[in-house]
Amino acid sequence: MADLRTNLAGIESPNPFWLASAPPTNSGYQVQRAFEAGWGGAVWKTLGDPILNVSSRFAAVSFNGQRVAGFNNIELITDRPLEVNLQEIYETKKRFPNHTVVVSLMVEPQQEKWHEIVKRVEEVGVDGLELNFGCPHGMAERGMGSASGQVPELVEKQTYWVKEAAQTPVIVKLTPNITDITVTAESAARGGADAISMINTINSLAGVDLDSWNTIPHVGGKGAHGGYCGPAVRPIALNMVGECARSPRINVPISGMGGISNWQNAVEFMLMGASNVQVCTAAMHHGFRIVEDMIDGLNNYLDEKGISSVQDIIGKSVPKYSDWGNLDLNYKIVARINNDVCINCNKCHIACEDTSHQCIDMLKDDHGNSYLEVREEDCVGCNLCSIVCPVDGAIDMVEVGSEHPPMTWNDRQAAIGSLQNPSADPIK
Amino acid sequence: MSDYKEYLSEREQIDRMFEIGYSIENVQENLSGALVMFEKIGSETETLHIKTADARKYFSNLLLQQRQNV
Repeated sequence: MADLRTNLAGIESPNPFWLASAPPTNSGYQVQRAFEAGWGGAVWKTLGDPILNVSSRFAAVSFNGQRVAGFNNIELITDRPLEVNLQEIYETKKRFPNHTVVVSLMVEPQQEKWHEIVKRVEEVGVDGLELNFGCPHGMAERGMGSASGQVPELVEKQTYWVKEAAQTPVIVKLTPNITDITVTAESAARGGADAISMINTINSLAGVDLDSWNTIPHVGGKGAHGGYCGPAVRPIALNMVGECARSPRINVPISGMGGISNWQNAVEFMLMGASNVQVCTAAMHHGFRIVEDMIDGLNNYLDEKGISSVQDIIGKSVPKYSDWGNLDLNYKIVARINNDVCINCNKCHIACEDTSHQCIDMLKDDHGNSYLEVREEDCVGCNLCSIVCPVDGAIDMVEVGSEHPPMTWNDRQAAIGSLQNPSADPIK
Repeated sequence: MSDYKEYLSEREQIDRMFEIGYSIENVQENLSGALVMFEKIGSETETLHIKTADARKYFSNLLLQQRQNV
């Protein structure tokens, strides 16, 4: 059995699965239930001046029968007094001393406000703090959450203020509602963050009712943008984790989140540089006990790979993630259709003919039977046919050897540039 | 002409230039593809208009090879 213990900037945890700061971590009752189910840690729902919420709050996007492909919420931070939360945090930590309790915080961007809440929260014995610079709705209108998180100077300054008072590790949770998340990640690091976490939710409107013309969700006929999360955002989150992990200017560990629903997703995030993962939507959809499959699956994966500690997979895919200009222009794959598996639905032909490179022919054999064949010389290896194919194993994407060594766009442009300016050519 | 056949035709023209002793002297890229200028000592400069993506990759590979051989 592999060692699943993790260490994020000094915050130790029995496994890499934390509940993210959100409705599932609103109270001691819930967090203790989560720990009983097996979650290694929890980030307590954001504390700050208690707010007022509206009803309704959540909406989900279903796609082709998959419920909760995406999830939208307009719920704000805690609506309970700080003392109530602190008492429950104390009791939870006392009952589960080996589990991780990190507390999410959000106050107005004022030094004394940050100092006050940090001191009061740390007094009850937490393992770390997470600064909520990401919540995109409601609180942002008051200058907090993503409104702070979109301004690099405010990220740096508030992180610095927190670090002035904090005794425990400080995680800065970043908003994805920004062009380049590495900019604010760097600001957090400059402010002294011990770790960063990403992503918070993405500005969203889940839908519009075609009969009432109300937004979904709506509050008495009026709507406002919410925060989008769930499986649909996972690729966006994974990229942002990867971009931060590969940046030479960001040298703090990452807690990854955004649509993680199973152990495979967790492994992806850890391979791409996350030291642990946080989960919310999947727990809201299926309950706390999903963590059992996550733990078992991760364990089996590590055992099958012969890896003794989950920490050994952190960042292993980061060196494989780069800029487009560093990709090999000579690498080539082509599609091959396995006619013994293909059901002749022609989806690949239609996709290729209508929307790609017109290289899949519909043919008939000597007996008049239809079959599909790829003209490999015209195939650009785009993958579209294998993506739309409904039958596993019917289309393989096969690597074709190149007569030339690897050549990137950057190599090519440097070579062409050297013709115009030979003195700059290091080879000449 | 299919893209592939056009590529083969352009590749043949590029290969021919190298076979008769020319090397790539300059490349100008524009909306129509690439103008590849070939030079050979004692001969006039020759220019090929290379349009297909595969042929533009091809001459780029030969250019890299040419630089390595300097």
